[in-house]
Amino acid sequence: MVNPRKPLAAVAAAAVALTLAGCGGGSSTSNNASTKGSKGGTLYYLTFRPAEHLDPQRMYIGRDLADMGRMVYRSLVSFPVTKNADEALKPVPDLATDTGTSKNGGRQWSFTLRDGVKWQDGKAITCADLKYGMSRSFATDVITGGPNYILGFLDVPHAKSGLPLYDGPYKNDHAADFDKAVTCKGNTITYRFNKPFPDLPLAIASLRSFDPYRKDQDQGDKSNFAVFSDGPYKLQGKWDTNKGGTFVRNPNWSQSSDPVRKPLPDQIQFVQGLTNEVINDRLISDSGNDQAAVTDRVVPPAFYSRINGAVADRATQTDSPFVYYLLPNFNQMKNLKVRQALMMATDSQGWRNAEGGSKAAKPAKSIVNPSLVGYQPNPAFTAPQTGDAAAAKKLLQASGEAMPYPIKFTYNGGTPTSDKAAAALAAGWKKAGFKVTLDPLSDTYYDVIQKPSNDSDVIWGGWGADWPSIATVIPPLFDSRINLTSASNGQDYGNYRSDTVNKLIDKAAAQGTVQAQGKVYAQIDAQLGKDVAYIPLEVTQFYYLRGSKVTGYNLSPATNGYPDLGAAGVTK
Amino acid sequence: MFAYIVRRVVSGIILIIVMSLVTFLLFFASPIDPARFACGKNCSPALQEQTRKALGYDDPVFVQWGDFLKGVVQGRDYPSDPALRKTAPATIAHCPAPCLGYSKLSNDTVLNLVKNAFPVSLSLAIVAFIIWISGGIAFGVIAALKKGTIIDRGIVGISLVFFAFPTFFVGLFLYQFIAIQWQIVPIPNYVSIADGGFFTWLVGLLLPGLTLALFYMAGYVRMTRAFVLESMGEDYLRTANAKGLAPRKVLVKHSMRAALTPLVTMAGLDLASLVGGAIITETVFNYNGLGKLAVTAARNLDLPLTVGIVLLLATFVIMANIIVDVLYAFIDPRVRVG
Repeated sequence: MVNPRKPLAAVAAAAVALTLAGCGGGSSTSNNASTKGSKGGTLYYLTFRPAEHLDPQRMYIGRDLADMGRMVYRSLVSFPVTKNADEALKPVPDLATDTGTSKNGGRQWSFTLRDGVKWQDGKAITCADLKYGMSRSFATDVITGGPNYILGFLDVPHAKSGLPLYDGPYKNDHAADFDKAVTCKGNTITYRFNKPFPDLPLAIASLRSFDPYRKDQDQGDKSNFAVFSDGPYKLQGKWDTNKGGTFVRNPNWSQSSDPVRKPLPDQIQFVQGLTNEVINDRLISDSGNDQAAVTDRVVPPAFYSRINGAVADRATQTDSPFVYYLLPNFNQMKNLKVRQALMMATDSQGWRNAEGGSKAAKPAKSIVNPSLVGYQPNPAFTAPQTGDAAAAKKLLQASGEAMPYPIKFTYNGGTPTSDKAAAALAAGWKKAGFKVTLDPLSDTYYDVIQKPSNDSDVIWGGWGADWPSIATVIPPLFDSRINLTSASNGQDYGNYRSDTVNKLIDKAAAQGTVQAQGKVYAQIDAQLGKDVAYIPLEVTQFYYLRGSKVTGYNLSPATNGYPDLGAAGVTK
Repeated sequence: MFAYIVRRVVSGIILIIVMSLVTFLLFFASPIDPARFACGKNCSPALQEQTRKALGYDDPVFVQWGDFLKGVVQGRDYPSDPALRKTAPATIAHCPAPCLGYSKLSNDTVLNLVKNAFPVSLSLAIVAFIIWISGGIAFGVIAALKKGTIIDRGIVGISLVFFAFPTFFVGLFLYQFIAIQWQIVPIPNYVSIADGGFFTWLVGLLLPGLTLALFYMAGYVRMTRAFVLESMGEDYLRTANAKGLAPRKVLVKHSMRAALTPLVTMAGLDLASLVGGAIITETVFNYNGLGKLAVTAARNLDLPLTVGIVLLLATFVIMANIIVDVLYAFIDPRVRVG
């Protein structure tokens, strides 16, 4: 997912390691309600970053997943359009008649399509379309860049490389394996997995990769920006990868067949390529079409002083799906006492202040976002938010290492804000007896930190869950078996390796319910805290303006904290 | 003469081929792996290799370069996977000759992307050119005629200020104040003449055109002033004045004609370079011209688009040089054998 407060190049780089289907934050919204809208008009969506994919099986940007899920792509289940944060992440039936039936401890799931659901050309959506949609994710040489969890979960044989033998619908090798794992009986589709997948409804509601796709519309890679809708809107003409596009009402969608979306505008127009500053200047000015505009670009800290009076009524803040953290490099910083001293000396408050204060970031008590099912604050992180230099110094002295202890802090830099934030951390560490070298990187950031030979001692990281389950946070970040190879450390930038944690990850994966998984993940998180495998810095905030004519405005966890297009409207 | 022209054209073609190779080598020398970049999150090494294959970066660099050159002559299919061509031909995109590549990130041929961006850059260059050439010459002449006065100093001083300010600053300033805060003109938005008519096209180009023009105009003011002053000191002008010609006639017919010749030559070159894209101005105003396309290609590690744009721009420059060389050869025969 786009991180709105990183430099352009960093955002681009983060598209790999941070690009994800984040699951929403949900708390601390303000001015989040607005007048009830009427039908008609054009809603404008001002943004900077172009969509990388509009193909449902390839989309992986939280903003795009949320927007397209409300406008053009329907799933078996979806998150509801609601302002109640407690309800926002509970899947409700969408294309399916219910939220699915699981068997065999979550290893098998069945869903039945509801009657009357249609594509934009009026043809009925079938079970075969659902099956075909999933099959596309297996064509890893054509359908690239999308979520790939299903490759590991679906009960099909795998090659030594770890990839399934079934290679998707284009070459169709080993198709019988796929046909066995995904079956259609009438309007009911059944998925068979090789391990429990209790959070499947959460995954379906969050991602678009489980959505149906019609075979006769598929042109492989050429379909990357084609939109064949089954939602309330359809793309008018072609998507322009530089400018954006306009979505108009889909006459073959009916409200009676869709219990989730409450579309109001006649058109939704996306305008890409505008900078944060220009977008927020225009929204503050609130004139012309901008009165009917929303954005996914946060208010820059330099603009905070201008958000007052009537403008403040059009500003809304919510938790983003992202948590930022530090990773001690276990190849470098092997002494536990040193890592504990680092944690104790970390001035995360100073970091957040440099980033813009409470409108930009909130304290984090875990690497897990508070909105996720099973979230618990990590008991290990009890140090004051400003750090405790004296306690840290004692720990460093007790470590037996020579002082000052030299550390190199590598972070995604290149902007005055990131440099200021890094300097705030360095100041805290220096007080405790560390000798700090700052190592800001930009475009090459992930290429450098993913090398096992990277000699950084402390590394910045950021993560958002793909769906609101800790299963999409801890295993991808700390399971050394899937991350650490001779060529790369995957997402485990700190080269953390723990048999205890790996065993617990297996234990969590074997649980049949999300709640039971959550309990094991809390144990794992506690172990990570004890080992100081990471140090949480912030839960990033989304602070957005909107135009004065926008109605039904809602920054919902259901839409990853981005404006929910499922109910937004405009007054005339 | 013919042999000379052939020699220059052949050397130009060789230069373009070498440039394409250098661009390929530079791209792959970068520490950033485009396959990792495009692979998405949770990308295993096996998936990364699949992505590399999908992007067409799995072959050795020289093989890729050879395929590129072949594509320029005879066109190419993307992806070039024979198995996929057999089992799913609908997924293959054809790029007809002269194929400068196919951008998988934009799902279009490089030539189409350039064709779409070119009118934007051309429009911007034309509007900017009209503003700067008319403003630059007018203010330059006024400054020359009022030499030493406060008007002269004012014009020269202000032009120096605009020359010193970075383009992005002037652009952002105009955007924020003229368009957003004071709302003197609508938010700049490129609309082609075919879509919105001449007036809408012009209004959309006013601020970005002015941004570019203010920078260039500053130089032209100073040069016009210098050239006019220089020509006014020439003997033939003294003669014209002594003969009792009207001052306006002396200025327009005699002084300006001499002063404008070098200016027009320079303006032509500046205009030609602007048509290749005004990176900063197009980025500030979100105009999807060649300049912004080049930035996007580099930022997204889009090799085909990067190579295509580099080669097109290089071709413009090389062609211009060949034309100049040939013209010189016509003027001065010694060049042909030099």
